Amino acid sequence: MRNKWISGGKWISGISAFILILSLPIFNWIKVVNLVTLFSRIGVTKEMAGDLLTGYNLYNLLSFVQYSNQGVLGLPSMVLLILMASAIYFNVAYIIRTFMASRNRKGKGELSLLAAGKCAFLFEFIAALSTIVFVIFSNIRFGMTGFLPSAVVFIELIVSLAAYIYIKVLESRERKKYREHGLLVEIKRNWVLFVMLIPTFVYFMINNYLPMLGVYFAFTSFNFRDGLWSSPFTGFKNFEFLIKADLFRLTKNTVLYNVVFIGIGNILQIIFAILVSRVTVKWFKKTSQTLMFMPYFVSFVILKVIVYNVFEYQYGLINNIITGFGGDRIDFYNTPGYWPFLITFFYLWKNIGYGMVVYLATIMGIDNEIYEAARVDGANDLQQIWYITLPHIKPTFIILLLYALGSIMKGQFELFYQLIGNNGVLFNATDIFDTYVYRITMTQPLSIGLGTAAGLYQSLFGFLIIVLVNYVVKKRNPEYALF
Amino acid sequence: MAKDLDYEPSAPKTIKKSTGTKIFEAIAYILLAVGSIVCVLPFIIIVSGSFTDNSTILIKGYSLLPRDFTLSAYQTIFRSPKDILQAYKMTLYYTVVGTGLGLMMITLTGYVISRKEFKYRNTVSFLIYFTSIFGGGMIPWYLMYANVLNLKGSTLAIWFPALMSPFLVILMRTFIVGAVPDAITESAKIDGAGHFTIFFRIVLPVLKPGLATVGLFLALGYWNDWYRSSMFSTNSSTWQLQFYLYDLLNATTAMKQMASNVSMKTADLPTESVKLAMAVVATGPVLLFYPFVQRFFVSGITVGAVKG
Repeated sequence: MRNKWISGGKWISGISAFILILSLPIFNWIKVVNLVTLFSRIGVTKEMAGDLLTGYNLYNLLSFVQYSNQGVLGLPSMVLLILMASAIYFNVAYIIRTFMASRNRKGKGELSLLAAGKCAFLFEFIAALSTIVFVIFSNIRFGMTGFLPSAVVFIELIVSLAAYIYIKVLESRERKKYREHGLLVEIKRNWVLFVMLIPTFVYFMINNYLPMLGVYFAFTSFNFRDGLWSSPFTGFKNFEFLIKADLFRLTKNTVLYNVVFIGIGNILQIIFAILVSRVTVKWFKKTSQTLMFMPYFVSFVILKVIVYNVFEYQYGLINNIITGFGGDRIDFYNTPGYWPFLITFFYLWKNIGYGMVVYLATIMGIDNEIYEAARVDGANDLQQIWYITLPHIKPTFIILLLYALGSIMKGQFELFYQLIGNNGVLFNATDIFDTYVYRITMTQPLSIGLGTAAGLYQSLFGFLIIVLVNYVVKKRNPEYALF
Repeated sequence: MAKDLDYEPSAPKTIKKSTGTKIFEAIAYILLAVGSIVCVLPFIIIVSGSFTDNSTILIKGYSLLPRDFTLSAYQTIFRSPKDILQAYKMTLYYTVVGTGLGLMMITLTGYVISRKEFKYRNTVSFLIYFTSIFGGGMIPWYLMYANVLNLKGSTLAIWFPALMSPFLVILMRTFIVGAVPDAITESAKIDGAGHFTIFFRIVLPVLKPGLATVGLFLALGYWNDWYRSSMFSTNSSTWQLQFYLYDLLNATTAMKQMASNVSMKTADLPTESVKLAMAVVATGPVLLFYPFVQRFFVSGITVGAVKG
């Protein structure tokens, strides 16, 4: 009996292959009808009309949006493209899993294989359904029948739905066998837990997940006149501009500052943590720890006050001292060369205490007997640190390092903005992605597309680095993996 | 839970310290003293500047110790305290509302994703963690609040975005797992207790250190925040305290430059010492509470450093 169902789960991946073939670009999913009327209705010029086609698959739909200047179709087209890409990804993953499954038959039978299949067919179904919705939407929008879905869409729709239902049936039988249950049963059983998550769900939707749709602005020449979702679609123009203008400088600044922060920061934190752990006078230990942790608690605005008062040209403390010795004043706020050092210094000033606490906790966890034994053997303090303390804090160091590497594209926005502000003289040495995007948001509404592109590049690049670091770490030492 | 950081790893008193150890300790004391002084010095500059007569600052510049001690800067602030009191009031409001609601949401979420019987706990954890490794960027985020939800000028836009963070949710989960053994909740469930009963009657009472830690992290964030005011406020009556201070600094710098250009009279501008006094007033509560709550932050950082 069991073998039959396993072959069922495999057999159906043939449908996946069929679906994949229909997803190839040679099949147009959307047909343009009433060509002349449509183009005159949406006001396409003669030259542009030459670039427009009579049929579109989901991969070249965006070129219709671009050449016809119908920005309002941009986001739906992009969503379709993303759905299509995910559907293809999940279908390929499903097929690969089918072949792997025969070799690796552990755990709960076919459940994970079936889940992969479900995912694949569900996405294919949604992609097909969305295509139909897209056609209806754009026809209503233009007030005429300009588009029609081709037969391919309907075949996809029916086949994927049938395959999905079939897999559902297989799955429910498997579940009975392994006493597993699905989402609905889980909601019925633990509905209280789901209720508890509602505020959290709303929060992360509004604050994090829905704004992700906005990365679409990176591909438009955004303006408020056309509204949020109707600005002209421009493809990769923003990115091209960014590469020509600021991208290299921003990447360099953001990454280099972070590398310096991570390097010097960790070294100093470790050194001070070791020193504190070695001190025997209790009040001194407590006080120094308290004082060094204190800067972490003040706002960056206060930091701005401090820096201004110390480095100001006329009344600043440093210039005060310099003139006191008969020297010439230094114009810090107009000399970019000083700021990488100043920013690094104040980053360290604010963050030494934080990291020190982490390392100190690890050091305190080391068994005292190890030190005693070393002492009996005649190891001096430096040897104890080198051979006992440092190896013990290595895991903490690696974890902190990985976290830091993961966020190497994230700038210390508040630090940079409060110290530099809108002082254009210093930008070359101090501009990072976060300050660049912030300035655009607040002062240049016409460059919002460009700013979104910079933000998207930063996010994606950072994300890739995290995934890569995590992959390598997981291979070498799964204990340290981030996720 | 956090380890006791006062634990002494040094040698018992009976063993005599060698010369090398003595030298090493001397260096440790010196370095730590230097580090501590560097960390504290800026505060001293601000405080002493706020007690210095403004004309002295203008002539002799800032210094480490107050010259010509005076309270006039503070008197100036509290002579017409309307603006700063308003900023104080709003910041207190944001801090209380944000910390209260945020703490509630974080604790509930931490509870849910710590339940072993909840099938989707890992999915939910990952969806929350994912927001810290990928995002749409600042502009879509800003447009979401300002244009889609139309919250520009509303106080909601100032406290809502900081209610939760992946770090604090994971931290709370770690606290809950550490504070409430599975056996207890299991036996409660056998006795017929529902999730709300378990949460309020069993988990919350033993979770005080966790609540204090996460709550303090939230409160500190709200107190020190300025940039949501800079993005969403349309009216100075909703400004956060730190943004009020920030605006004051910027306005005086800009006006001083203008004044030097067109020989405007600068008597009405807040003087240097008033600005410093303002900084002291704005950050005072934090530093006042700091010695008493430091241990909560230490425990939070220590617990949070262990991968959640």
